[in-house]
Amino acid sequence: MGKPKFYDFCVHAVPDGENTVEQLAALARHLGYSGIALANHSDKLPQSQPALPSTNEFEVYRGIELVEENPSKLHGLIGKFRKSVDVLIVHGGSETVNRAALENPRVDILNHPAFAKSSGLNQVLAKSAAENDVAIGLTIRPLLHSRGSGRVRLLSDLRANLDLARKYDVSLVLSSGAMSCFDLRSSMETLALAEVCGLEENEALEAITVVPERIISRNRPGPGHIREGIEVLEEGDYC
Amino acid sequence: MKRLLPSLRAKKRYLAFELISEVPVSRSDLVKEVMFSASSLLGDVTASECDIKVLGFEESKGIIQCSHTKVKETRASLATLTRVNGKRATVHILGTSGTIKRATEKFLQNTVFEPEIRINSKHLKNNNLGRIQES
Repeated sequence: MGKPKFYDFCVHAVPDGENTVEQLAALARHLGYSGIALANHSDKLPQSQPALPSTNEFEVYRGIELVEENPSKLHGLIGKFRKSVDVLIVHGGSETVNRAALENPRVDILNHPAFAKSSGLNQVLAKSAAENDVAIGLTIRPLLHSRGSGRVRLLSDLRANLDLARKYDVSLVLSSGAMSCFDLRSSMETLALAEVCGLEENEALEAITVVPERIISRNRPGPGHIREGIEVLEEGDYC
Repeated sequence: MKRLLPSLRAKKRYLAFELISEVPVSRSDLVKEVMFSASSLLGDVTASECDIKVLGFEESKGIIQCSHTKVKETRASLATLTRVNGKRATVHILGTSGTIKRATEKFLQNTVFEPEIRINSKHLKNNNLGRIQES
């Protein structure tokens, strides 16, 4: 088995974040990633679609983080952006948004579902997340920037969600949620932090390698793809 | 005082790192910040078990020592370092090794770094880390 490929699936560039895509991509590459997903918040999208600096060894995926409080509008936005992006993230943070995101199989990741006095997930939501194959996104940016009681809250929410995810077999995605270059951490550091925060080694590794790859392969079907479960492997004349 | 026998000394790991920062940072500020982030993330008890020490730090590259069983915890606590002296900074660990010599040879000599983001990009050619002896 070769060296695993690491992906950072939530990076914000200008005008949402502080640095340009090129800067973030260069640093992420230096830090050992094989790809990042540019996921600007949908309320702060640039006027024109930026060109993504992808090379053979390093790819920048097109993503979006949808911010919408109204569930029916959220479903509308999902339909609008689904075709044009590789990674569709929903910015969680209220009961209705979490529910709408986890019940929609076209969503890839629900980021930070926690809201006031709740970790944001329960058994019902976890079950539908597993059914619809929506991953729960763990962003490390808040963990890095908070200290003391704020971080204690974040960690206990994380533990609660982790227990539910384990029980109902929900996939996890570990990402930086970076707003600037200084929020990026190398893959090894991210893994170490995740393990200290309660993830198992294999869970953390899966959340940064296998799950992102699966999301991409799901959204970028191969040339023979007809629909889910049906694929042309070999063409020929069978008469 | 007589030095401990080699077999009785605590085993260590040496983490070669580079600091990506907005402005150049002094060693004492970095040490303060490393200790603070370690005890804040891990608590004083675990942080003391980690035995973290900043050994050498020059031109934004250096070596941090930790206990050989606590590399993961040390890495995690270094990841939570976000600011040094009020200015944003990030510690990027280049690699770990069992000896200072090897860590210096393997990770600190002729490391290349991409230019755009680097604010203080200087190559560390003749670093003085070799002078630090295990003491």
